[in-house]
Amino acid sequence: MTKPANLLSPDTSLLTGAPVNLSRRRFLLLSAGTTAGAFVLGFGLPVGGARAEGLSGTMKPGTRVPAFLEIRPDNSVHLQSPFVEGGQGIFTAMAQIVGEELDADPAGFIVENAPAGSDYKVMGNGMRITGGSMSVRMSYSTMRRLGALARQMMLQAAAERLVAPVGELTTEPGRVIHGPSGRSIPYGQLAERAMDLPVPDPESVTLKDPGQFRWIGKPLARLDVYEKSVGKAIFAIDCRAEGMLYAAVQHAPRLGLTVGNVRNEDAVRAMKGVHSVHRLPGAVAVVAERWWSAKRAAEALQVDWREPGPESDVRYMPADFSTAAFSDLLANTPGSGQEAENVGDVAGALKNAHTVVSATYRSQYVNHAQLEPPSALARFNPDGTLELWIPNQAPEMFQADIARRTGLDPSRIIIHSPLLGGFFGRHFIYNTATPYPQAIQLAKEVGRPIKLIWSREEEFLRDTLRPMAAVRFRGGLDANGLPVALEAVTVCEGPTEGISGHKDGKIDPSAVEGLAGKAYAIPNHRIAQIYVKNPVMLGYWRSVGNSMNDFLYEAFLDELADKGGQDPYQLRLHLLRGNQRLSTLLQSVVDLSGGWKRGPFTATDGTGRARGIAMASPFGTETAAIAEVSIENGQIRVHDVWQSIDPGSIVNPAIIEAQVNSAVALGLSEVLLEEAVYKNGQPVARNYDLYPILPSDRMARVHVRIIESGAKMGGIGEPGLPAVPPAVANAVSRLTGQRVRSMPLSRHTFES
Amino acid sequence: MKLTINGITHQVEAEPDTPLLWVLRDELGMTGTKYGCGIAQCGACSVMVDDIVTRACVTPIESLENRRITTIEGIENDPVGKRVVAAWVKHQVPQCGYCQSGQVMAATALLKETPHPGDDEIAAAMVNLCRCGTYNAISAAIHDLAGDERTGQ
Amino acid sequence: MRKLLSVLLPVIVLAAAGVTWFATRVPSSPFDGVAGSQAPSPELIQRGEYIARLADCVGCHGSPDQPPFTGGLEMATPVGSIFATNITPDKETGIGNYSLADFDRAVRHDVARDGHHLYPAMPYPSYAKLSDDDVRALYAYFMHGVKPARHANKASDIPWPLSIRWPLAFWSALFMDHGSHHEQPSENAVWNRGAYLVQGPGHCGACHTPRGLAFNERALDDSNPLFLSGALLDGWYAPSLRGDPNRGLGRWSEDELHQFLKTGRNRHAVVFGSMTDAFNNSTQFMTDEDLRAIAHYLKSLPGDPRRDGPAWHYDPKSNDTLALNARLKTPGAQTFLAKCSFCHGADGRGQGQWFPPLAGAASLMARENASSINVTLNGSKRVVADGIPDAYRMPPFREQLSDRQIADVLSFARSSWGNNGEPVKPEEVKHLRESTDPANSSVIILHMR
Repeated sequence: MTKPANLLSPDTSLLTGAPVNLSRRRFLLLSAGTTAGAFVLGFGLPVGGARAEGLSGTMKPGTRVPAFLEIRPDNSVHLQSPFVEGGQGIFTAMAQIVGEELDADPAGFIVENAPAGSDYKVMGNGMRITGGSMSVRMSYSTMRRLGALARQMMLQAAAERLVAPVGELTTEPGRVIHGPSGRSIPYGQLAERAMDLPVPDPESVTLKDPGQFRWIGKPLARLDVYEKSVGKAIFAIDCRAEGMLYAAVQHAPRLGLTVGNVRNEDAVRAMKGVHSVHRLPGAVAVVAERWWSAKRAAEALQVDWREPGPESDVRYMPADFSTAAFSDLLANTPGSGQEAENVGDVAGALKNAHTVVSATYRSQYVNHAQLEPPSALARFNPDGTLELWIPNQAPEMFQADIARRTGLDPSRIIIHSPLLGGFFGRHFIYNTATPYPQAIQLAKEVGRPIKLIWSREEEFLRDTLRPMAAVRFRGGLDANGLPVALEAVTVCEGPTEGISGHKDGKIDPSAVEGLAGKAYAIPNHRIAQIYVKNPVMLGYWRSVGNSMNDFLYEAFLDELADKGGQDPYQLRLHLLRGNQRLSTLLQSVVDLSGGWKRGPFTATDGTGRARGIAMASPFGTETAAIAEVSIENGQIRVHDVWQSIDPGSIVNPAIIEAQVNSAVALGLSEVLLEEAVYKNGQPVARNYDLYPILPSDRMARVHVRIIESGAKMGGIGEPGLPAVPPAVANAVSRLTGQRVRSMPLSRHTFES
Repeated sequence: MKLTINGITHQVEAEPDTPLLWVLRDELGMTGTKYGCGIAQCGACSVMVDDIVTRACVTPIESLENRRITTIEGIENDPVGKRVVAAWVKHQVPQCGYCQSGQVMAATALLKETPHPGDDEIAAAMVNLCRCGTYNAISAAIHDLAGDERTGQ
Repeated sequence: MRKLLSVLLPVIVLAAAGVTWFATRVPSSPFDGVAGSQAPSPELIQRGEYIARLADCVGCHGSPDQPPFTGGLEMATPVGSIFATNITPDKETGIGNYSLADFDRAVRHDVARDGHHLYPAMPYPSYAKLSDDDVRALYAYFMHGVKPARHANKASDIPWPLSIRWPLAFWSALFMDHGSHHEQPSENAVWNRGAYLVQGPGHCGACHTPRGLAFNERALDDSNPLFLSGALLDGWYAPSLRGDPNRGLGRWSEDELHQFLKTGRNRHAVVFGSMTDAFNNSTQFMTDEDLRAIAHYLKSLPGDPRRDGPAWHYDPKSNDTLALNARLKTPGAQTFLAKCSFCHGADGRGQGQWFPPLAGAASLMARENASSINVTLNGSKRVVADGIPDAYRMPPFREQLSDRQIADVLSFARSSWGNNGEPVKPEEVKHLRESTDPANSSVIILHMR
């Protein structure tokens, strides 16, 4: 898929030739040649008859075939993906979906991220976002239809060439067949003409019967694995442009502070390799010939930071802010909140309950900690256009944001979206949390292309965080110990209102998802939110509200079960009675784990173990997970995670299994280790040293069962996460007898 | 000073305390070696120096004259490295791929030292971070290689 | 009984009067009655600024978030915290009303202008050796080279009766070596200059000389072999600065010592722990001449083989335990390989002057293991040499390694490559973990202007 990767990688002359004296000048010339070629690739689509059609923008997104597909004489199929690849396997899935209807082997696809443009807003809601586990499920039929339209155009081009009616033509993978004459023509020889034909009416093509699928539903190999195994995949941080300079920043220690006096500006400007020193909103920057020089010089700048004035429009981080105090503040904020759900009569049911169980559960801030630090390459072109190579999950939204910031017309802003070195929600529009506004300003001030990289420390200082919440639960049990009422009041600012602004009297669905939307038949339940604004910038984090709320809810549900003398698995089954899909799912994960065995029990290696179970309904998909834990040197060891996932219907089971593995890893990381701690208004951790993420020796074995219930297609990238933290916490509570009401478990003390 | 990388000698201009990582990436344009943390915590910058896995972000070039540096760009010139890459493809290891250059280097160094490592040895050698959680796939790929008679030859 | 009392009572009264006189008297200063110079020369102010660098006044009286010299540094003591005071010439909150004699009494005689005794956190046993000229210059600097800044002092939270200050008079009477520095005629001028800097303004002994039960430095000059023989203070073990080859400077040359104090690093070590502050704020600003004098003087202090043991030699045998199959059987070896070796070298020899060797490191051979535990738990502050922060920093491992893992890896390092330090116990790690915080990875500069 990554043609640019091959062009951009150090050319083979460097690897095979005689000793090379690589002067800087020669290197830049070399790279200029390669980058220029790479960067235009895919964006210089020739405009023929049909290709010009709809330049007026009248075609429906996802129908202008030449905007998406180029089939070269060598039969390679080049696909512009509306969705950005960041590890979730979307390039391969898109190739499978389009290839299925085009009748071209997905293995022969070369996929890259499409530029910004209305043609690519293919999601059912008219948007284009790589997030919310929406890519496949929101574009499935559109992208299939795109493949079918392209196939139809191949057939028409072949009909012209063979002078035969379209009706006599059919296809085999990669070629058109004329049955009566036995002649066939490869797509590669038809494409030039086909792409000049008008795109047929989208309603004129019929999609395949799923029973006839050749590739959809199969565990096809990913298209990007080889390039990623040999270092040839190109991420934003790897992009270069001719004549560019590097930049590094030093951010204000607290958000909102502004640049005052810079004491040693002259001395820093005189440092070797330094080009210039710049003042940015809430940061200072150094531009240099090399990033390492820029980074060291930026760190050397001695800035007197100033408190903001009333005109400041960014969140202000007070000097006395601490997460420990803020967590207590959330837990103790009074009120009953705005309702997200209110069914039955919770107050009455609690009053009449045989037992009432009350508890406050808490979640923590977490960092994205994607391994690729953010960067931005910005270049103003002689024709007045602004070209950017930036990690992003929504090119058109970034284009609009940059238009707003620069005053340029969006059509003058060219967005390149290289591969993402992990994202997990990191690369949305987050005002102060992205480097491109800085890179644009620097490129303007310097008059040359600027490659800005945030060091890991600057990234941890400005990363957006998954919100913190305190949830006050009250549960009512009847005389049999079964739940008759459940109330959850979350004190939290949701990520969406954190980013887009809170509306009085409105709840933020992303703050309550995972508390609300539970399928358990508890006759009286009430889910509500109390809004408390955070001083930190909030962001979306893999599985968003579900990443914490399913932990909070499912762990409390176990607490209720224990108080009522119920087995947590049996209780869940009971609460799901009549719900065929979820009962099947729950039983399947128990089955996958070899039968329900809560423990504590002694494993063959002599360790004491227990298992916990939990469920979640994130992003249109249903999941159930079981975790088995023991305690080793005071730390929780998670041995196995079994997960059943029902996304309705699927495209690639191998990718789903990989995504569940990945989501389990992040879920384990969150529940075992992660917490972004603030003291004195600053994050304590500025790197992985003080913010450990799951290392290999804490990973669990992962067992996945995919269930295709045939329900409406759900998401894949995120849903594997939310059931994992509560499954682990419930197992730990069972094993230790200590109720776990907060994450991460590394903050709890356990006896071996 | 001169650096020998993947069998080729390069004259580089950087200061002696500059980390190898940034000489590779910026001065030589070899961007396959990745920057993740800069303080030897993640392993994304792993390369081999004289066949020993080394973190390029904390390796000043001063100490590298007359040493044999192998980066991911040269991995397939090494017979063990080539088999590691093949196993990575077979087991579909990478997701986002950002850490995988380092993981492949670490696996290659492991198998060059110990052609048929056991579980504990694999765990001890594979300590690079992966935020996508490809650990199980990495482990499966190396177990596969560990059982391969050709590994180490 | 009554008789006895009648005899004793006058004695007691007399004694009490004597004690009161002693504890509350204001010591004399050679500057008594000297009118404060109204307009000192710029040269004198500049010289005073240099003395302030030598004495590292900003290290305690400076705070990164406040105007220079307004105090604030919290010093924990077993009985409570005390806070460094505002020493700007602000008249209300600082020392603006101090005469030269008042200033002298505070710096060299531990008595503030209002007569209260200073806590010995202020290293006046060393400052007592400052020359009259240097005190005059220092006063000129603080009165005219430092901007007055209003910043109220923070009261100590030491509870009564421990907060009563007059008993400190006895402390200083017992433990101070009053009187200024005396030249050793048998030694040359360089040695004498070094001795003055080390014993006086540099107050090296405040950290490096062992203290007695009353927190007193057990030696204040080279006449006593305990002087600068290494000491534990505030969670860090300041190693011997004497000729001990293992736990001191025995293997360092004068040039290497000079380089260390000038750049913060050499092939033996990189500054860490409290020495980072001493380097960042003080030693790097010393003239080459003064640094050479310090190096020359320190190298004249003999080691003590009885204390230091047989001299260290690199032993490559330990590297055998690092092979993949072997290291799984050696506690700490795997952690060393995974967490330490990439910077400090798999052979323990470091990387040039950029990463210090663990082989032969004084902190790993010292009987007191606090420094090695502390730096592993908490990492090290940024070393800023000539305005440029270090390229490489020691990260904290407290969030990644358990007490047992840290104990094991340090025990491994303390017994490898010829190192002869004793093992570290998990409880020792636990204790320091609970009483310390990780070093800040941001660059912190304490300004003097």
